Amino acid sequence: MNGERIAIVGVGQTVHKSKRTDINTAELCAEAVEAALADAQMTMKDIDCVILGSFEPADGYSGPDKWIVPEIGAVGKAGFEMQNVGTTGGVVAATGFNMAASGLFQNVLCVAWQKMDEAAGAFGRGGGGANEYWTGQFPMSPITNFARRTYDYMTRSGCTEEHLAMVRVKQDQCAQRNKNAQLKLGLTVEKVMNDFLLAWPIRRLHMCPTTAGSAAIVVCPEKRAKKVTKKPVWVEDWFTCHQGGALTMAEDPQASTLGYACRKIYKRCGITNPKKEINAWEVYEPASTAELRWMEEVGVAEDYKAWKLFEQGKVGIEKEIPFNPSGGVTATNPIGATPVVRVVEASLQIRGDAEEHQVPGTINRALATAYGGQGENVVFLLKKTL
Amino acid sequence: MLKKEEPQDPSVAFRYPRVITYKHSLGYQSKFAHALKMGRIIATKCPVDGRCTIPPRIVCPMHHVKQTEWVDQGQRGKLLSAFKINFPMFDSRTGDLKSWETPIVSIELEGGARMDGWCSETDTEKLKPGMVLEAVWRPAEERQGRVDDILYWKPV
Ligand SMILES: [Zn+2]
Repeated sequence: MNGERIAIVGVGQTVHKSKRTDINTAELCAEAVEAALADAQMTMKDIDCVILGSFEPADGYSGPDKWIVPEIGAVGKAGFEMQNVGTTGGVVAATGFNMAASGLFQNVLCVAWQKMDEAAGAFGRGGGGANEYWTGQFPMSPITNFARRTYDYMTRSGCTEEHLAMVRVKQDQCAQRNKNAQLKLGLTVEKVMNDFLLAWPIRRLHMCPTTAGSAAIVVCPEKRAKKVTKKPVWVEDWFTCHQGGALTMAEDPQASTLGYACRKIYKRCGITNPKKEINAWEVYEPASTAELRWMEEVGVAEDYKAWKLFEQGKVGIEKEIPFNPSGGVTATNPIGATPVVRVVEASLQIRGDAEEHQVPGTINRALATAYGGQGENVVFLLKKTL
Repeated sequence: MLKKEEPQDPSVAFRYPRVITYKHSLGYQSKFAHALKMGRIIATKCPVDGRCTIPPRIVCPMHHVKQTEWVDQGQRGKLLSAFKINFPMFDSRTGDLKSWETPIVSIELEGGARMDGWCSETDTEKLKPGMVLEAVWRPAEERQGRVDDILYWKPV
């Protein structure tokens, strides 16, 4: 890639909860900003560019930057708000990386948030249609989207509801070790399989929760990064890929730009065996069942065979495939902030700072992703050394 | 009006109800809507690989070429998937929460394009991938050029 080499020098996130009625949206945002600045050993004075965003309809504020920028003390800094459904945090981070790589800015702050406790869970019930003419005949939400995708996945792969439950149990086991995760439920396969059925094969436990949470990162070009921290997390590559359609669910239920984006950056970075060359994964799966297809698309499992890895007990923090060691999105989902949470978690893994959910051994490379709408993806490849 | 808060929480919350009715233009996709009124389903076709798509597109997103040809998709299709929603969700036609009893099906039409619809068979156990379904339309005088001019899909 052209441009400056860049590194993440500070990360921060809130403890994620279902409700934060004690604070307003800007204060929620400020919690992550303060944590990231403290981690980078900087103050807002050092920051020369701020990229921020949330998925606006899930918060109910239009142009929230107008009041959040002053509240986090960032008036007068270059930058702007980004907005892109669940992918919002992905485009926030990608834009921040572009800003730092451009050489125009030395200390770029990226922050994303979502305070879903203020919309009474409306989003999951179909509160946000993409395009009324094409989606209006049905209630559309991530639940109907993933019921459709998972049904199709089961038809093609032959996996059963029990395998879907195994995925959810693995995610819960990871989340229980993450101090910032929201849902820590002590699940068993039986508990998941007997949970309330939203739309077959999706049960309530398979879906991401509604979350109030925020996450932030500080990014610098190479020279500055080396001055600021002893533990820079190098951003090796990133790629934003939007899908050309899928306004109806039928178009192609497995269509996603994740595989496309991964193939693109693996080629650019000379990665031929992702399972070996990438040591930790933080992938945005809005439903636990999506983790199966996503594992195949990022290249750690063969097409329609990821469920066998769960049957064989090969996925987990200390296992062959450390996929979503943080517990992932079914444990914690502040939608717009979720991709930044993925980048934060992948960075912590590389630094060796993930505490209880740290993947053992040296993490040389980690992959983080964002997912939104019905198939948009942003992919980030992070590295320990240049 | 203030929302009732837990006694130990001193923060104030305020309600923000709003109702906005939008009127969106369909543009070139109006052709699809006019066809529905006539009881026909049409789709755009890619001149490179011949793939038909609904929603219709003015340009093929993969090959970046104009799609000027519209193709009739027939009245029948193969079932791809079927599921029921078991909890109240919003009806975007009214803005109200309601229960949904009918299965949602995805269909691959005879012309190759795919679309979603409701199904007359409410027992999802009886709906198997690959089975043939046929469109059942609203009476012509009631059609509005919307996708739900097709009332439901019926197993043949
Ligand atoms: Zn084409």
